[in-house]
Amino acid sequence: MELQDTYYNKSEYVETASGNKVSRQTVLCGSQNIVLHGKVIVQSDAIIRGDLANVKTGRFCIISKGSVIRPPFKKFSKGVAFFPLQMGDHVFVGENTVVNAAVVGSYVYIGKNVVIGRRCVLKDCCMIEDNSVLPGETVVPSFARYSGSPARHITTLPEAMPDLMTEFTKSYYQHFVSITATG
Amino acid sequence: MAYLTQPDYVKYACSCGQIKPITSLYFCRHCLQIRCGFCICHEVDSHYCANCLENMPSSEARLKKNRCSSCFDCPSCFHTLSTRATLAQPRQTPEQGSGDSKVENKQAKKMYYLSCFNCRWTSRDVGIPDQPVASGGWPERVNPNATRINQLLDYYKAIAQQEKQEKLDRERKKFAIRGKYITLTDKTGLTGAMARNIAGLPSSESTMSAIANFVPSEASADVEELSEDFYTKELNLNQITSMPQRLAAPEWQPSSVSRLYPIAKLLSVKRSQRCRACDHNLTKPEYNPGSIKFKIELLAFYHVPEVKIISYEPMKPGCTSALLLKLTNPTGHEMQVRLLQPEEVPDTEDRLEEPKSLEKSLEKSLNLEKDNLWYETVQRKADVTATCRVVTPDVTLTLAQRDDAAEYDDDATHDANDIILWRKSNKLALRLQVRCGEEVEAGSAAEAALTLQYRYRNTVPAPHEPRDHTLHATLMLQLGHVSG
Repeated sequence: MELQDTYYNKSEYVETASGNKVSRQTVLCGSQNIVLHGKVIVQSDAIIRGDLANVKTGRFCIISKGSVIRPPFKKFSKGVAFFPLQMGDHVFVGENTVVNAAVVGSYVYIGKNVVIGRRCVLKDCCMIEDNSVLPGETVVPSFARYSGSPARHITTLPEAMPDLMTEFTKSYYQHFVSITATG
Repeated sequence: MAYLTQPDYVKYACSCGQIKPITSLYFCRHCLQIRCGFCICHEVDSHYCANCLENMPSSEARLKKNRCSSCFDCPSCFHTLSTRATLAQPRQTPEQGSGDSKVENKQAKKMYYLSCFNCRWTSRDVGIPDQPVASGGWPERVNPNATRINQLLDYYKAIAQQEKQEKLDRERKKFAIRGKYITLTDKTGLTGAMARNIAGLPSSESTMSAIANFVPSEASADVEELSEDFYTKELNLNQITSMPQRLAAPEWQPSSVSRLYPIAKLLSVKRSQRCRACDHNLTKPEYNPGSIKFKIELLAFYHVPEVKIISYEPMKPGCTSALLLKLTNPTGHEMQVRLLQPEEVPDTEDRLEEPKSLEKSLEKSLNLEKDNLWYETVQRKADVTATCRVVTPDVTLTLAQRDDAAEYDDDATHDANDIILWRKSNKLALRLQVRCGEEVEAGSAAEAALTLQYRYRNTVPAPHEPRDHTLHATLMLQLGHVSG
């Protein structure tokens, strides 16, 4: 089925000049360290921990309700250090998902209730299914579909995955429409 | 996958009779046919490690038994192991009490060990000493049966060579031309090695001696008795390995947890696809393992008009319901589309077989080498018997070409038309009627078949061939269940 319209309350969301739609009900720590590259949707109760390190997302990213984007840390002999978290274009992060990855490539689909462990690297064009747990420092190669706990490579994705993700995130953005307070 | 996370409501018929979602289909630009994974030739392009993303030439990969030399999987939970560093104080022996050596010993050395971040297994658990280098250098275990396996291999190679020689002698005159394909086994497996051996033409004496000196194994009636411990000792299940853990290391098959050793990670491959009828590449990925680009990418998704279901009314036996479809033109040229019933398609191929089951088709593709005519493509009509029937309007629809800048244009234009709901750049929404059969039972799956007749422009036509073609694509629509 085609995507149906998702309605949001206009007063609840802040829309920037570059088309980012960010809910007021989110926790954006260290907002000076968060860069959303345009047409990004951050839904209510999402947490982005910019206070730990820089968080950068590409265009057309969707951060769903209740998800946590948190830069990863690494323990050294002298204390810990946080690393910046980079996200490519056309990334979907499902509801109640925790992302601790170091790099999330472009055209990545992360389902709901997923835990992406510390310093994982998700290459371009990969998919993590719902309710999966990716242990720390895992590398997910391109065109791989991971599922389970610990998440394992279960199958490959079709070659047209970049276009599928582009279409999905774009139509999600188009179907994410506001209703005024009266409506 | 056309809907990413939803089931595939729309499936297309491949030229081999399989019905599959558009994302798993290919379109051969030279035969102008839809192809699927069952009726094309898969080739291994390159080997790479999924963890360190390093390329490995196929000859090296064969030598290393298709395993990465620097990455390991956890023997306990099969997750990838990570390298961890510790500062190790070199152990002091009592003799090194004198001043100079003490200063030297105080310098802590960085040592590395392997650790699983999922189950917390470490290489220290099984007593593998820490390594001074971050990657590589891990002790390689020797297969306990290595000598016997090599003996057997030599023996069978010798026999194979002898047989090949005899066959060659017999058929020297009528030497047949080999197939025009490099098969997977030729490129990676035994036959390639054999061909080289034949080219080298080793003396027949050595093969004779290898055969003569071979000692076949003998079954023995004496079986080692089970030790007393087996009956008396209490079993600690935490110390016993599970079946998958044992089978992950088939050479050793450890029975106790203390004998689990890291497993070298298996390599992944990049594949390219080739049309079996015309020998042209359908997809060819870029060599670099991290790249998602393709040098050649002839997917049905980029050439065949895509149909998506917007919504439909529930089907009732003997009633007509409305169905909203979205048509997309993925090509860079304007496209004329007509909707037809599947039986209206003119038969262009005279060699049409009956629809076969999926198992038979798979069997055929697996038994390629046994079949001499394996490179002949199978043309088969798909089985498109459906419970519902789409009322096809007798109109030709024009779909504009794909235009990536069009997304910045205005809203959809609403045509005042009873069929077209709206148009937007290369997309078009249709309102159709679906008639459900009278005798269809309530609760059974509602399916409808539909054929698209579309004008396709070949951008690289062969000389003396027309640029424009009229092609057909048959598709099955899943419309939920028939309600009572």
